[in-house]
Amino acid sequence: MRRAPICLLLLLSLALAPALSHARARAHVRAYVQAPYLELHTGPGRGYPVFNVVPRGQSVEILFRRTNWLKVRTPRGVEGWASDRDMMQTTLSDGSPLDLHIGTRAGYTSHRFELGAFAGVWGGASLISAYGSLSFNSQLALEGSVGEFFGRYSNGVTADIGLSHVIVPQWRLSPFLMLGVGLVHTEPKATLVQPSNRSEQTAYVGGGVRYYLTRSCFVRAEYKTHVVFTKLDRNEVEDEWKLGFGVFF
Amino acid sequence: METRVRRVLLTAAALLALPGCATIQHWRNHRAEVRAAREEMRAEAAQAQSSPSGTSGEVPPPAVRPEVERQGARAPKIKSSNFEIGAHFGVISIEDFGSHPTYGVDFAYHVTEDFFLRAELGRATAGRTSFETLGGNIQLLTEGERKFTYYDLGVGYNFLPGEAFLGRRHAMTSSFYVLAGVGGTQFGGDKKFTVNLGGGYQVLPLDWLAVRIGIEDHLFQTNLLGAEKLTNNLEAILGTTVFF
Repeated sequence: MRRAPICLLLLLSLALAPALSHARARAHVRAYVQAPYLELHTGPGRGYPVFNVVPRGQSVEILFRRTNWLKVRTPRGVEGWASDRDMMQTTLSDGSPLDLHIGTRAGYTSHRFELGAFAGVWGGASLISAYGSLSFNSQLALEGSVGEFFGRYSNGVTADIGLSHVIVPQWRLSPFLMLGVGLVHTEPKATLVQPSNRSEQTAYVGGGVRYYLTRSCFVRAEYKTHVVFTKLDRNEVEDEWKLGFGVFF
Repeated sequence: METRVRRVLLTAAALLALPGCATIQHWRNHRAEVRAAREEMRAEAAQAQSSPSGTSGEVPPPAVRPEVERQGARAPKIKSSNFEIGAHFGVISIEDFGSHPTYGVDFAYHVTEDFFLRAELGRATAGRTSFETLGGNIQLLTEGERKFTYYDLGVGYNFLPGEAFLGRRHAMTSSFYVLAGVGGTQFGGDKKFTVNLGGGYQVLPLDWLAVRIGIEDHLFQTNLLGAEKLTNNLEAILGTTVFF
């Protein structure tokens, strides 16, 4: 128990280490303004006032990026925040445009990785779950998800892996289908007569829809029907409904 | 009925997965596709830039447009700092079990300037209920069962962004935030589905350091004291996080 605060401190210091390395001098990307001017805001948000402009032809050093904003430094040493859309109008020293990979509809249609989190229901129990996916092409992806459910009579964890198939990837609201296998570990509550924990294999089929929100963010809702291969005479069927957020990279 | 629905779903899944599987041979091409899309975007940007922008005529068009093949130069990496990790300390009022110190760790990913996703893990130790105090030797829970551990995943929204000033020279960006999440709470020998609602105020004294004060409510249903009821476990915290 005593160890917990020490672990926390250790974790915090570990987290601090990379941040402190900010202080170290490092080579920054230099971008040249091609639009008539580049506006610098006092903070990383659309509402922060513009306090400086960099004229065409001048360069800025890009210190780092946070969400849709880039912290830049002018040759005069003025530091401010420029939006990524404005920075897309700048070029590198060789004249090529600055590529910032901002999340777009094209990226939503075709991307490599997805991560997301859900809330839902698993066989009548409340569920929290997270998933990750690796896309082979714009339609087919390998997906893995883990979840924990909290029921009246039992708690447990689930994990599954399978394929998902987006029917029309270019639609903003696009349906998909899923097929895969998994495991479910159930811990019945002690008040019941049969309190032994059990782990069982499952197979599922399901479908859902995803809806592109903005940048690299989307909403995802899905339904899976799991067949649980029990050690009893007959298999069980559990339904899973969930709704959540996802981001793509 | 249920089996029929499942069979229909299975058939549909198989049928619809077929065209996807047929493109398996194009797995390798997928990266090329993504790259091509990026190239296209870059080309568009270059075109937009080479087309006359505005009528100001401040800069005359170059007399010679060099037509040299570019040597596939790799775009240099720009450091991103969208993740946040940190710790929080505070007081939690565990319903029926008194107010107690709490501590925990937080992890967040900022998706846009407005929205972020956040995971949190915290711990407190519950005290005795008034029933136990008045009843003398009665012990409802063991020492181990009094550990109150909560974890959740949620979505946060920054609103009313602004700047806080420290004297004449220093300005710190700041904002209020609200968050909603779901998770679990291990308490009293059981785990409960927990809804987490909260809000607070955050300032960034440095670009990579954030300090926040906040209030969170961990709501879950329990029957620890007999009847099933919804408990509100309010927590007031002071937290600090670093961006990386």
